[in-house]
Amino acid sequence: MTVLTHSAPFVAAYTLTSAAGVGKQATARALREGASGLEPNSLDWAELPCWIGRVRAAEEVRLRDEHADFDCRNHRLALLALEQDGFLDAVAAARARHGAGRVGVFIGTSTAGIRSTEIAYGQRDAQGNLPPSFHYATAHNLDATTEFVRRVLGLNGPAMTLSTACSSSAKVFCLAERLMRLGLIDAAVVGGVDSLCLTTLYGFNALQLVSPEACRPFDAARRGLSIGEAAGFALLERGAGELRLAGYGETSDAHHMSTPHPEGDGARRAMQEALDRAELAPQSIDYVNLHGTATPANDRAEARALEALFGPATPVSSTKGVTGHALGAAGITEAAVCLLALEGGFLPGGPTTREVDPELRCNFLLQTRPARVERVMSNSFGFGGSNCALIFARAA
Amino acid sequence: MRIYVESVGVLAPGLPDWPAARAVLSGQPFVAAPLAPPSPAGLPAAERRRSSPTVRLALAAAEQALAGSGIRAADMAMVFASAEASGLITHQLCEVLSRGGKEAREVSPTQFHNSVHNAPSGYYSIAMAATRAASSVCRGPWSFAAGLLAAATQICADAEAMMYVCYDSPLPFPLSAHLPVLESTAIAMVFTAEATPRSMAGWALEITGEDRLAPWPDWMPAAWWANASARGFDALATLAAPGGNARLPLADELALNVTPC
Repeated sequence: MTVLTHSAPFVAAYTLTSAAGVGKQATARALREGASGLEPNSLDWAELPCWIGRVRAAEEVRLRDEHADFDCRNHRLALLALEQDGFLDAVAAARARHGAGRVGVFIGTSTAGIRSTEIAYGQRDAQGNLPPSFHYATAHNLDATTEFVRRVLGLNGPAMTLSTACSSSAKVFCLAERLMRLGLIDAAVVGGVDSLCLTTLYGFNALQLVSPEACRPFDAARRGLSIGEAAGFALLERGAGELRLAGYGETSDAHHMSTPHPEGDGARRAMQEALDRAELAPQSIDYVNLHGTATPANDRAEARALEALFGPATPVSSTKGVTGHALGAAGITEAAVCLLALEGGFLPGGPTTREVDPELRCNFLLQTRPARVERVMSNSFGFGGSNCALIFARAA
Repeated sequence: MRIYVESVGVLAPGLPDWPAARAVLSGQPFVAAPLAPPSPAGLPAAERRRSSPTVRLALAAAEQALAGSGIRAADMAMVFASAEASGLITHQLCEVLSRGGKEAREVSPTQFHNSVHNAPSGYYSIAMAATRAASSVCRGPWSFAAGLLAAATQICADAEAMMYVCYDSPLPFPLSAHLPVLESTAIAMVFTAEATPRSMAGWALEITGEDRLAPWPDWMPAAWWANASARGFDALATLAAPGGNARLPLADELALNVTPC
């Protein structure tokens, strides 16, 4: 494990589009006002009684003609997000500064374009062939989204997709930091994109983890998660900047494929490693954005890990009641929430949580409040026992 | 970047282990033979039944590399790479999901958690009580080099020992018409940051521009050309026949150069 203090990259630009809003300004407003982007599911192709985080604006997006083979729900959402907050211009400037081959692209996703495969399976011909409109490599394969982002941004540095379920787009920050520290690249676009599909809606439903109401993280009466879709990106560069990636930790539970270690052992070790890399004591963290999916077992495990490391005082919340659980895009979604909190001087609350479970001994914020924020942690944990904690800090 | 090869595991039809692969890579004739269904010893029987063929392939290859190394699984970070780790499961899920109507869409919970790209690394970490960082990489046809790059940067940046596994298993129809993986191939390698008494070789890795697609080796069956992991045999050839180097495709215009050192 290497300390990052002197080599920590900074976030030169970032953007987020989720059910909470298109772009940073709308997202920050939702967080400040405690407005939930969740809505009752009215998808005409997935009749499941639950709440979802749906980005309606993405559904009407049209890709450029030269990217026609990439067209799918995931890439419409990706393009909508890329076009917000001056992100395209920021990347173009980085490309001009460093050269297109010196900027990497690392994207996390859990299902990429699988919605187009679900549709194609419904359109098989009498012999069982998928329709000619189905493009596996550009609209289904997990790497399709990374390649699409790379082409839209005109970058040709090293690129890859990380897919470790719900920690995917947190771990891309760690990967990019290592390539930058070794001097293989000068800058990196990291991010995550995941969109609504039958696979995750019915899959989590089969595991009895989908809440019939808007998810209520850390609530005594929590009943499961609400799936959302989101796309977010950050441009990381080396040198001096206001918002730094100060530390990160990555661990494996080695316990169960879809249930966390009951004491949150892997989660605690990920948080500890992030603190160690940042050379910070737990008390110096102003706020922890929880993974907080609102399933009974996940929240219990995370609370135990949190209590073991931080005690009961550190302000924490899960913002999944605002955005929904964006799965492979959850890491970037909550990294962006943390960056907005650092920049905007507020601690986000969890507006859908009514009464915090007394068994989960922590300082869970129900309401957003103004505060001077210097250092924040974001947790992301996924199937396969994949854990990642990130620490972002304002420059000292 | 410089890393050290501690051990190798190989599973492919006709190449059931590293000694068999080394012989072919040293110039002996390749003899095709069916690959016995991999049955990783470290996976408890119940987990073995629940896991997918891709999981069993990746774990069995990893177990070979583990057996050849002097490092405990728990002391290594992990990078798993595949162009398509869940083709069979995706097919089964999409068949059920495309039926329409919520009653018809009865998804098996086990199948759903097996559908994630990191299922092989998840099962491996559970089987081996390996609690360090695990990443699962996809980069389509360039997945072998991309995974190796992810592994090498972690080894060099944090002085980690590493289990690296790259694998492909056949896709069912109709997905097979779009990604024609016809046979299973897998390569597993243990790497270290510093040389150990068991080190087979040092590898210097460098990202370079690439303007031509490297040809597949003459001995390799054409049936493997859709397998991203089969690109790794070029890298293994540098261990079998000293003096050569390998250019592993990392993108249309990039390669990862492997030079023994």
